[in-house]
Amino acid sequence: MNPDLADSLTEICGPDAVIVDRDRLLAYESDGLTAYRHRPGAVVLPRTTSQVRRAVLAVARHGLAVVPRGAGTGLSGGAVALDGALVLGTARMDRIVEIDAPNRRAVVQPGVVNADLSAALRPYGLHYAPDPSSQSACTLGGNVGENSGGPHCLKHGVTSRHVTGLEIVLSDGSVARLGGMGGEAEAGYDLVGVVVGSEGCFGVVTEIEVGLLPLPEGVRTLLGIFDRIEDAARAVSEVVGVGLLPAAMEIIDGPTIRAVEESVFAAGYPIDAGAALVIEFDGVDAGLDEESARAAGICDRMGAREVRRARSEEERAALWKGRKKAFGAMGRIAPDLLVQDATVPRTALPSTLRGIAEIAARYRLSVANVFHAGDGNLHPNIVFDRRNREESGRVECASAEIMRLCVGAGGTITGEHGVGLDKRRYMELVCGPAELKAMRGVRLVFDPAGTMNPGKVLPDAPGGGGDQGGAQGGPSTRRSVGGGRVRGVGSVLDLLPAGQALVGEEAAEWLGGSGAEAVVFPESAEEVAALVRRAAESSVPLLPAGSGSRLGWAGGWPSGTGVVVVSTRRMASLVHYEPADLTLTAAAGMRWRNLDAKLRLKAQWLPLETPGLWSGTVGGAVARGGAGPLRTRYGAVRDSVLGLEVVTGAGEVLRLGGRVVKNVAGFDLVRLFTGSYGTLGIVTQASMRLFPRPEVDLTLCFEGARERMLEGAAALRASLLPVAAAELHDRSVAGREGRAALAVRVLGGAAEAEDVRTRAEATVGIEPVDVLLGNESESFHRRATEVAPEPLRSAVVARREDSVSSRLADGIKGLFDPHRVLPRRP
Amino acid sequence: MKLSEDGLARALAEQDDALANCVHCGFCLPACPTYRRLGDEADSPRGRLYLMRAIVEGRLDAGSDAFETHISRCLGCRACEPACPAGVEYGRLLELARQVGGSVRPPPRISRLLLATFGTKWASRLAMLGARLLRASRIPDLLTWAVSRVRRRSGEESAIESESHWARQRSTARWRSLWLAFAMVSASAPPRRLFAKVRRRQVASDAAAAADLGRSRPRGTSTADDRPTVGVLAGCVQAGLFSRVNAATERVLTANGYRALRVRAQGCCGALHAHGGDLGRARALARRHIAAFEQAGVDFVASNASGCGAAMADYGSLLDDDDAIAESARDFAARVRDVSQLLAERGDRAGAPLPLRVTYDPPCHLLHAQGVAEAPLAVLQSIPELEVVPLADAAECCGGAGIYGLANPELGGWIGADKVHSALKTGAEAVVTGNPGCMMQIGAGLALAGSRVRTVHLVEMLDESYRLGGVYGDTQGPGAR
Ligand SMILES: Cc1cc2nc3c(=O)[nH]c(=O)nc-3n(C[C@H](O)[C@H](O)[C@H](O)COP(=O)(O)OP(=O)(O)OC[C@H]3O[C@@H](n4cnc5c(N)ncnc54)[C@H](O)[C@@H]3O)c2cc1C
Ligand code: SF4
Ligand code: SF4
Repeated sequence: MNPDLADSLTEICGPDAVIVDRDRLLAYESDGLTAYRHRPGAVVLPRTTSQVRRAVLAVARHGLAVVPRGAGTGLSGGAVALDGALVLGTARMDRIVEIDAPNRRAVVQPGVVNADLSAALRPYGLHYAPDPSSQSACTLGGNVGENSGGPHCLKHGVTSRHVTGLEIVLSDGSVARLGGMGGEAEAGYDLVGVVVGSEGCFGVVTEIEVGLLPLPEGVRTLLGIFDRIEDAARAVSEVVGVGLLPAAMEIIDGPTIRAVEESVFAAGYPIDAGAALVIEFDGVDAGLDEESARAAGICDRMGAREVRRARSEEERAALWKGRKKAFGAMGRIAPDLLVQDATVPRTALPSTLRGIAEIAARYRLSVANVFHAGDGNLHPNIVFDRRNREESGRVECASAEIMRLCVGAGGTITGEHGVGLDKRRYMELVCGPAELKAMRGVRLVFDPAGTMNPGKVLPDAPGGGGDQGGAQGGPSTRRSVGGGRVRGVGSVLDLLPAGQALVGEEAAEWLGGSGAEAVVFPESAEEVAALVRRAAESSVPLLPAGSGSRLGWAGGWPSGTGVVVVSTRRMASLVHYEPADLTLTAAAGMRWRNLDAKLRLKAQWLPLETPGLWSGTVGGAVARGGAGPLRTRYGAVRDSVLGLEVVTGAGEVLRLGGRVVKNVAGFDLVRLFTGSYGTLGIVTQASMRLFPRPEVDLTLCFEGARERMLEGAAALRASLLPVAAAELHDRSVAGREGRAALAVRVLGGAAEAEDVRTRAEATVGIEPVDVLLGNESESFHRRATEVAPEPLRSAVVARREDSVSSRLADGIKGLFDPHRVLPRRP
Repeated sequence: MKLSEDGLARALAEQDDALANCVHCGFCLPACPTYRRLGDEADSPRGRLYLMRAIVEGRLDAGSDAFETHISRCLGCRACEPACPAGVEYGRLLELARQVGGSVRPPPRISRLLLATFGTKWASRLAMLGARLLRASRIPDLLTWAVSRVRRRSGEESAIESESHWARQRSTARWRSLWLAFAMVSASAPPRRLFAKVRRRQVASDAAAAADLGRSRPRGTSTADDRPTVGVLAGCVQAGLFSRVNAATERVLTANGYRALRVRAQGCCGALHAHGGDLGRARALARRHIAAFEQAGVDFVASNASGCGAAMADYGSLLDDDDAIAESARDFAARVRDVSQLLAERGDRAGAPLPLRVTYDPPCHLLHAQGVAEAPLAVLQSIPELEVVPLADAAECCGGAGIYGLANPELGGWIGADKVHSALKTGAEAVVTGNPGCMMQIGAGLALAGSRVRTVHLVEMLDESYRLGGVYGDTQGPGAR
């Protein structure tokens, strides 16, 4: 380590904050995955954003790389420094900056330990939902880095759903503040979303704003003991299939049970069992007994030998014990333990488990599974001895086969532990060259110098070093179509059969009078790509559209004249729908109301309720992004989109994400395209996460003086009562001045809804003037979203995009729309 | 007998499996007081284990600065053990590491001096005599008061000691050791003023009500011989500065139906030596100790000093390699109890009300090393009208850690200051704990912060309640009939 650099770091962060002694640096060689050992060049332990900024600058001046590191519990080698890079540890950045209980948000420094945050929130009756099994040690910064999940993310969603704002120091020392204020102030691209899960490759996260949830009122825990693991896996699918949404569903397989029972951590599971399934429900006390009884019934029907129920907090802890101690127990019996991580669609669990067992047998390895079954997130743990070279080789081969098996089943190579160093070699299983190139490009927008955690996540670019993001494809390579350069709208229309385009009068009519030259109706992503490329060559601006209902709604028209509207209407099929997986894939042109009708048949839904949703298409909903009033319960659009097929402005087809609910393979570009208003690409297909439709949907309509209604809403918020939404409508039903209506929506099982309803009425303190039920309730809210009720949160102030964020956004725009064929960015 | 350096490295190498149990998961990091404050992974349990492993792998020199610094910065509080999912026996590995390190690089003079003193009976007696005389002279009280005034004036209240302080204080470390030692001696004095306050309050309240509580007679006095016998550990510091606590221990045990025996031949239990890595001397002391108690033939060995209790409970593994005594060592270890365990086992026995607000700080070697969490609280809760308020971060070490506070006054002071700060925030009138070292460390911290809040031993508290309640007979206290 260069002494000059050490000196300047000492000057910036203080004498105790810089470690250069090679012996002392040994402690930073590995993270939670000890297969990789790389000693850093130095470690610096800053305390403030400004220290981070100055330290990063100083390091940059010496041409060194920086590796952010939280608690080093990561299981993919993400937090180790290659080639003598500098580790920037966040252990001293452990301050909870702000707890804003009324708005259910908190701001923390990245070194705050996950469990400490929830402990600090307990007095407010709130918690931070994502609970990795490592929560007692791992930091929020690391959680953001990996987009971590946890047992209870089945119901509440993983890290990215709860992170609403970030402050990040980039490799050139600039500081960007992204998102913030509860996510309500989002404008522009979802940069927060793409930074979550970026594994430290985009910059050092120095402040994190998270959303908070009320602590569940009640909890019910079951433990089903099965003779065969496949039965346990089928029970998981069935529970979801009948419309139950437990907080957690975890499976511990036979080998793991035996390891636990033979260790000092014995949890009292029968050692001859094939699998144990922990199911936990949380929420309003009233409905829980019924829900857990139904789940217990399903376990019985699927062949459970025995179902245990916890009656007290101690019993609950006892049922969980086998799950919680599994890792430690396995660690004790094994000289070395490889904790694998992959996700498959829930319904593919039984066959995948069988496949894994076969692979293990073939390679003569013992594999034990403990995993987040509800999310289809597998953790096959392979026991081996590193000193045995031949065995290590077999572990390697078996791992690769397991990855291929999971990807083949429609899953992915990592659900929560990240790619880091360990899974770079599998990235090509889930990403093609175009996707990898796009990820490289985005990384370079954030980190043009390539000095933030280099050598992680992405495999080396083909042809070495050529880590060029820049223009993809591009007209220069295709300019010579038919000799001379073609120009004008005509050249674009030439690409399609006559029936797939409207021009002139017809176009205007279809569009309802706006000034486009033509409308085209491509039928596949490849057709869209050809159109886009041709448009780029001919400098024809394009405007993506669904059914044409919201043209130019926010993105603004593209510059230039002779605009061609690209409608996705001819791509309207339901590509894939597996109710038991709670996921679907639809082509972009499918109308939302058609989609909803299909879901209704299976008692499922996707209640996004963003403005314009009902009159539009799936692609439109994705492109607009945003959130509806049910955000707290069901998340925003960004939280529902699992995968996308999109044609970029450079004319490349990207297939991003997948159709599993947990997926952290590579950077989350899905987030960038969601809510980008078609300014980065044209969405042609989307995979989304669904929810069981609740048994009861009712709306309580209160009416009175505006002040009184505001009071009622505040009381509801303060009560932490889980009402699905509370909205204020200024134009009261009676239409009188100074009066308002408060619509409180209650969703859930019969008993739960009844209980919440009674308590909501008591909390508001007056009788509702009307109670809407079922469809009436639903359509009331559907109508209401069109008039956009006013937000009830206080202190929501839209933050203007700062110059660094806007530079990042411009960079991303330039990357995906290099020829400016798509609309300007909002 | 001094083992060669090679032999020692081998001793650590033999622990390869124990070290390999550590799966590098990092769960222990947040439990560790030194990591929490310094943020350096080499100052975390996982980091320290990794350094030990590097020695076994031949990648690190046992005499290196890194090893010396990080192993000596460990408090030995063992808070990392309950946090570990893999059950790594950190405490034992630490002792070995200290031994290995100490053999190539002698520990600081102050540690050696202290260990040598406690390792020799006459020296330890002499030192304690000196300390008692010093205490009686009231010089330490005065000095402590003066230091607290100076600190307050210079805005350097110990309650807000922090990282910037710890950097600065390194230069003044030696002075800090000195005045800390004085303050500790001062803090070892009996809590006379506190108990006087109790009596004033009781006189003010209904005396008859208090008297009522004294009615219960001592248990088991009728048939003296079926009572379990208990040998109370006299200890070095306890015997020297806390003889009142030893006496109280015998009284409360007797009152709860035990027969307390004086085991005369006992000496130092070797706890400080084992924790300091002087395993040779620790073993020698342990042998002597075991022999003494064996001769006395007791059912239980009661300890009112948790560091000693933990060390005695570990005799089995300490002497595992010595076939001649391994068996008796295990037998001895199985009889070791903290006094609170023996008391709690007997259930409530109420004395007079003590209308006080106190908080309880669990000693590390009781909570983490011996896993005794409930018993002391149960004993406190059995005292009528004693209000026990929770202490924030109670499970964290107070920074005393045997001789750590004296050998590492800066970091120990920082950790101690945080403890003092949380204690003061509770608004308690006294901090109850179960270990003389903690009493002196926290007591000194409180006094240096200018506070009049006292530290009291759990047994002292119960004893006072019994005394006032007339449990010991008819001659004492207002509760007598
Ligand atoms: C026993 C055990 C159980 C686990 N269970 C789960 C589980 O249930 N679910 C789960 O998702 N994971 C689990 N993990 C994995 C791990 O705990 C998580 O990935 C965790 O989020 C890592 O946090 P950390 O603070 O240790 O981060 P580190 O390991 O230090 O870092 C992780 C990554 O984040 C980056 N990073 C860290 N801080 C920052 C920052 N401030 N800015 C930018 N980048 C940063 C690092 O560069 C690295 O790439 C488990 C691990 C263990 C050992
Ligand atoms: S908790 Fe235990 S296994 Fe995990 S790093 Fe610490 S000592 Fe090792
Ligand atoms: S004994 Fe205490 S100070 Fe030492 S490593 Fe364990 S927790 Fe940290």
